Amino acid sequence: MTGRALVRLALVLLLAPGAAFAAQTWGIPHEKPVVLRGEVVDLLCEVAGECTPDCGGGRRQLGLVTTDGRLYPAVKGEVFFAGATLDLLPYCGREVMVDGLVIENPAMTLLFVQKLRGSSREKWKPARAFIEDWRRRNGPAREWWRADPLVREVIARDGVFGIPGLEPEE
Amino acid sequence: MHGFLVGVLGLALALAWPGPVRAAERVRVTGEIVDTWCAITGIMYGFGTAHHQCAVWCAVGGIPVSIMDDAGNYYMVLRLEGDDRSVAEPRIVSIQTHRVTVDGTLVERDGVKYLLVDEVADDRGIVNLTHEEYGIQPFGE
Repeated sequence: MTGRALVRLALVLLLAPGAAFAAQTWGIPHEKPVVLRGEVVDLLCEVAGECTPDCGGGRRQLGLVTTDGRLYPAVKGEVFFAGATLDLLPYCGREVMVDGLVIENPAMTLLFVQKLRGSSREKWKPARAFIEDWRRRNGPAREWWRADPLVREVIARDGVFGIPGLEPEE
Repeated sequence: MHGFLVGVLGLALALAWPGPVRAAERVRVTGEIVDTWCAITGIMYGFGTAHHQCAVWCAVGGIPVSIMDDAGNYYMVLRLEGDDRSVAEPRIVSIQTHRVTVDGTLVERDGVKYLLVDEVADDRGIVNLTHEEYGIQPFGE
């Protein structure tokens, strides 16, 4: 192979869709930046055969089955304290590309979805569907996690430690 | 040559295999309901009273909850007593950090123990008091 051919090959590899790992690392033990391509599945359907036509319509945890048959539960999106269900839901039963982190902890393997796209022709979009949906339902808030109605109800009832009457010291 | 081809075929089949999947089995699990993300990643202290508020935030945010048993095994909950909702399910939110005993079906696949809870046999509430040592995780408020 000539030098020019090597340079061309290197450029192809660098510029190939999905070839570059752009994921933001978090310094989490066992984390691995990945670009995965796979089918979006409803986890309950995939592991137990309890299926719905729409992957649960946002009610169920979703995951990715990659071309090698591995199942990754998508537990986290780009929004603080929020998952990736609403990001993956539009791709239910279809192929998607995910840029993010796989946490291969011996106790449990997790997928952190940072960006995704339906095909290499599309632009990457950040996995922020949760906050877009939340703002449509609740309006703007600086910290959704403190403003959410269900959070407020539960914390008002049980306290920050979860035990009624047990309060933080001033 | 024949042995070599059989070896190559075997390797190809092994690589194409979808990964370890164990048959579903009936189990009883006792442990703490935890936020899967914080507990597994260790990005903050993720257990007991110190982390309760954050566990509520994450459950409402749709991050799956798990049960961590006393041996340190984690079981991701996909169904709770006939309710197939596992994203921001109000009952799951309300039992964050509780020590529970559940009966259900376990399916292991690709490094994850998935649990379909048929019945919460016992709920002792929150018994893991960690706030005196760890304060409020995260942010301290």
